[in-house]
Amino acid sequence: MNEQRPGMFIPALIGGGIAGLLAGIPLVSCLCCLWIIGGGIIAVYFLAKDSFVALSPGDGAIVGVFSGIIAAVVEFLISIPLAPLENKLFKNLLVELSEYMDEMPAGFESWMNNSFQAPLYMILLGLVISVVIFSALGALGGVIGISIFKNRTIKSSQGVIDVPKNSIKTENSDNSKS
Amino acid sequence: MSYEIRDSFWTFKNKVKIIYIFTLLGIVFWIAAIFLAPYLKSLSSPINKIIYYSFSKICHQAESRCFYIFGNQMAVCSRCLGIYIGFLAGTVYYPLIRGFGILSLPKHKTFFLATVPIGIDTLGNFFFLWNTAGWLRLILGFIWGIVLPFYFITGIADFFLNLNFHNKKQ
Repeated sequence: MNEQRPGMFIPALIGGGIAGLLAGIPLVSCLCCLWIIGGGIIAVYFLAKDSFVALSPGDGAIVGVFSGIIAAVVEFLISIPLAPLENKLFKNLLVELSEYMDEMPAGFESWMNNSFQAPLYMILLGLVISVVIFSALGALGGVIGISIFKNRTIKSSQGVIDVPKNSIKTENSDNSKS
Repeated sequence: MSYEIRDSFWTFKNKVKIIYIFTLLGIVFWIAAIFLAPYLKSLSSPINKIIYYSFSKICHQAESRCFYIFGNQMAVCSRCLGIYIGFLAGTVYYPLIRGFGILSLPKHKTFFLATVPIGIDTLGNFFFLWNTAGWLRLILGFIWGIVLPFYFITGIADFFLNLNFHNKKQ
């Protein structure tokens, strides 16, 4: 059997990229930690797809950590240009909602006004904090992904006869000798 | 040979225990920070801003969806609080259910069963179909959170055990 583990960078990049993108987009980002855990699960899906060996929970954890780090960076990069738009978007939403709803939820207006008023050092600190938190959540997502896609890995390895090239050469050379 | 197996089993158990203790300390610290933020705000301490900002990375912190303590909103919404308290409860129960001698993931059906209620509720609220009360969000979050340590501890412990195995191999 081919015991070599598949590369983790591409699956982590896909999972982390999707998670970071969704976590950074205004309104969609309100689903809290779900996206980061989801990113870890997606990363494991792509890892399991290309894997011919059974993946362990530890493999899921590490690919999840990588996807979390990538998600933190992507979310940070996306939130910079989208930050001014976010307040505008919420203001428009508030106006539209007020037409349909009799009473707006308490504190909605102040929550909207307080969004994105952080200074630069807080933003950079936020990136560091994001990397740490997203890594932990990504690891969690990765391990959950292993429990979901574990059977897929084993199935994909079935029916493949992995014969090392060296062994064929040895057999041929043995025949020629005899 | 049997001594070697016993010794490696002892090491295995100890390593899982270490991961478990770190996870338990981590989640206690995490929940303490959630409660600490409104307390520090009530004292007008500037540190509260850092805590609120840190949690804003993973929670929308909408005032209408947060519980209040010390006259201020908590650092996360009621659903997130439920998830973290559930995670703590799951971590406390972990040794009673799994022990430290076994590393195995729960069946994925368990995860889906725990996810369905919180998933339906989240989608319903997201599309403005209904507005769930804070206590119900807390309970649904708790149900989901309680299964998570069984994945987290297993995954992290497995990673470190494999890392050690590969290092010894080299």
